[in-house]
Amino acid sequence: MSNTKSPIVGLNSRRDFLKTSVFVGSGLMLSLVLPRGTARAAQSASPRSPSGFIHIGSDDVITIVAPAVEMGQGGHTAMCQMIMEELSGDWAKLRVEDAPADPLYNNPMINMQITAGSFAVRGWYPELRRIGAAAREMLVQAAALQWGVPVVECSAEQSIVTHQASGRALRYGALADAAGKLPSPATPALKEVAAFTVIGHSPKRLDVPPKLDGSALFGIDVDLPGMVYAAIRGAPTLTGKLKSFDDSAAKSQAGYVATVVLDDALIVVATSYWRAKKALEAVTTEWEKGKLGGMDSARVSQLLRSGFAETGTVARNDGDVESARANGAMTLEAVYEVPYLAHACMEPMNCTARVSADAAEVWCGTQAPQAAQAAAAAALGLQKEQVTVHSMYLGGGFGRRGQADYVGQAASAAKAVGRPVKLIWSREEDLSHDYYRPAAAIRFRASLDAAGALTSLESNVVSASAPDFSRPGPPFYTGGVWDTTYSYSIPNFRVTGLNKDFGVRFGFWRAVNDSHNPFMLEGFIDEIAHHLQRDPYAYRRSLLQHQEAHRHLAVLDLLAEKSGWHKPRKGRHLGMAVFPSFGSVIGSVAEISMQGKAVTLHRVVTVIDCGVAVHPENILAQLRGGLVFGLSAVLRGEITLLDGAVSEQNFSDYPILTIAEMPVVDCHIVPSTAAPGGIGEPGTGPIAPALANAIYAATGTRIRTLPLAKLGYTFAASRNRA
Amino acid sequence: MITLNVNGKEHQVDVDADTPLLWVLRDELKLTGSKFSCGIGVCGACTVLMNGQPIRSCVLPVSAVAAGATLVTIEGLSPDRSHRVQKAWLEESVPQCGYCQSGMILSAVALLDRIAHPTDTDIDTAMTNLCRCGTYDGVRKAIHKAAKSPKL
Ligand code: FES
Ligand code: FES
Repeated sequence: MSNTKSPIVGLNSRRDFLKTSVFVGSGLMLSLVLPRGTARAAQSASPRSPSGFIHIGSDDVITIVAPAVEMGQGGHTAMCQMIMEELSGDWAKLRVEDAPADPLYNNPMINMQITAGSFAVRGWYPELRRIGAAAREMLVQAAALQWGVPVVECSAEQSIVTHQASGRALRYGALADAAGKLPSPATPALKEVAAFTVIGHSPKRLDVPPKLDGSALFGIDVDLPGMVYAAIRGAPTLTGKLKSFDDSAAKSQAGYVATVVLDDALIVVATSYWRAKKALEAVTTEWEKGKLGGMDSARVSQLLRSGFAETGTVARNDGDVESARANGAMTLEAVYEVPYLAHACMEPMNCTARVSADAAEVWCGTQAPQAAQAAAAAALGLQKEQVTVHSMYLGGGFGRRGQADYVGQAASAAKAVGRPVKLIWSREEDLSHDYYRPAAAIRFRASLDAAGALTSLESNVVSASAPDFSRPGPPFYTGGVWDTTYSYSIPNFRVTGLNKDFGVRFGFWRAVNDSHNPFMLEGFIDEIAHHLQRDPYAYRRSLLQHQEAHRHLAVLDLLAEKSGWHKPRKGRHLGMAVFPSFGSVIGSVAEISMQGKAVTLHRVVTVIDCGVAVHPENILAQLRGGLVFGLSAVLRGEITLLDGAVSEQNFSDYPILTIAEMPVVDCHIVPSTAAPGGIGEPGTGPIAPALANAIYAATGTRIRTLPLAKLGYTFAASRNRA
Repeated sequence: MITLNVNGKEHQVDVDADTPLLWVLRDELKLTGSKFSCGIGVCGACTVLMNGQPIRSCVLPVSAVAAGATLVTIEGLSPDRSHRVQKAWLEESVPQCGYCQSGMILSAVALLDRIAHPTDTDIDTAMTNLCRCGTYDGVRKAIHKAAKSPKL
């Protein structure tokens, strides 16, 4: 298994793997030697061959090179399931390794090697199944050739090829050598969904056992001979630059090795991490504030809202919103807003680097190995190909580890001191130098006719420091709003997007746009329903009477059924939200009771249609985990700016949910044979609108901004189900 | 030189007296199962057992470890993941990213030593470890499950 203890150096090393493979020289493993340069890029086009993905040793051990990293979302196991299903391999003989930085492992859906956006299973489902099936056909063919019988008379199961008629059988390990020399079929036969025995089942996740005894190796656990340790202080403002520093007091401290000056940060290297941290504290620094100087959260809010008066990019414009509004019997308007948020992975950012004149190695948890490779190469003035990335387990990713700032920093430090360096950020650095989920606001304007029909909806989305990817189509951050009529039918529909870049670094935060846009839109739909005195469930249903909404409708109906929507318990109030998210459709109902501003959450019911449920047990875990992530943000999540610097420094002022606050959660998966949808992110979004709508149902107070703590609400979860 | 009894073995370490126990375990003794996350005693990722009590090793200077104190880290809980808490954790597939889990497991061990059959409220009070991945349901279930299996 990858990332478990024993060899301290070169752990989980792709290079070692290749070396061993070449020397042992058996079976499919030979094909693991990757072609260089342009041939490589060509290889990353579908259909890929099993090369580089599957290695079967003469000992029958199947090693799968996983193109998705493991950050607790079950990526390794899901990648293996898709291959093993079609390979008909013996799960007990399985090992998994992380892929090196290489375009061969670019996710076919987005052509990037990144584990993010709930793309891993969605993007790899066809390709990895095809790869597994191709390998199986090669193994079967090798057996058939050896026995001199037709291929159709042979079958494969549990890593054994059998010729029924003669009773002969061969293990994959004995066939791998010959199979590896056969051409890889481009269109192997795939199993029917109904015949799956691995996909749709829940084999024990491969990363669980080493996470029970301390043997799982995260980036922060890497240990190299001669290694020294580094602590870092970044510019207090996110646009800041180092003006001057005085490290004379640090230099006299025990174990001090060096000061490494970066443009926007200062690093102190010492013989232990504790010494590095203490020596860094002894350094005084002066900084230029840059563009963010003077900016604070109140001003961000003001500027966001001033954006409604500006003309944004038109993301969508169906019908004629203006005349619908002019002719409407009634208009409704509301503004929703959310603050910046930090990822706060439990494992703070860190990286270990070893650098020589013409090569470098980095060890880290990363969601984007090629980004890590590029960051190190840029910091060192090397070519990308000269940098080897060793992917480790991630102590949380949530989008933060798609950025590779910490990799470049570690590489710079290792180069400066001429020794391997392990750079570890403090929690304070981690929270105040994140790439943040942007603050955002939406102004909604709806018109209704005399009969109460929704005739138009305009949504003006303003985002603080979102990316403007230079690509055609609606602005990125309007996702989840501009595309909403694929669910709700609204005849006149207009969406604009405006990006206010204040200089706060943008980050993909679990659920990305769906961490806030559904809070706003599902809140506003609830407002319309209540305005019309319609039941929020029945009202949503009335907007979903079209063919494209059938999955949405099924989720909504199951949600109503499972939550007891029509018969709430005495003293309980229900709030609902449902929306498409990352290729799935998800909805939640929050069941609360209230006393004044004290919210008690009794239960959350969540329903998802995620297509084929690859690993049901893990899907449920992701839904619960997503809920915890979302609920932390709803209750207390806020990153505030003061004179351009982030105020929150640790879990003491950026609190996350505790076990005592964990609500009772019932999750349901809608059975489906459709291609898989995303699962890592969708669970984060629904709790905000569901809870806010429940609070409205209980009190008549509409929640249009977060977090709840800032509005004076207190929170408790109750496990008493009666 | 400071002498530490960790996982049943005596170790001599030569470190600055103010070094938190966590960094001695991780960097000197190479017991990296104990994790650094907040460094201020809030999150519990660094939890180890000192004389059977869960402590936050990131805020305990190594010089403050009482002479003769016995320390247990996740690596020393059992030689083969056979502790009932580890077994229950496996059955419930509790970990997600896993980073908080050493601390979670050791806190659960200490809780079960103190209270054989903890209630949900006991769990809420004792398990103050933070988990960003949200494994709390699994933690709760696994503790109840472990409580039902005999203590070895
Ligand atoms: S790292 Fe010690 S309590 Fe958080
Ligand atoms: S499992 Fe990831 S922080 Fe708990």
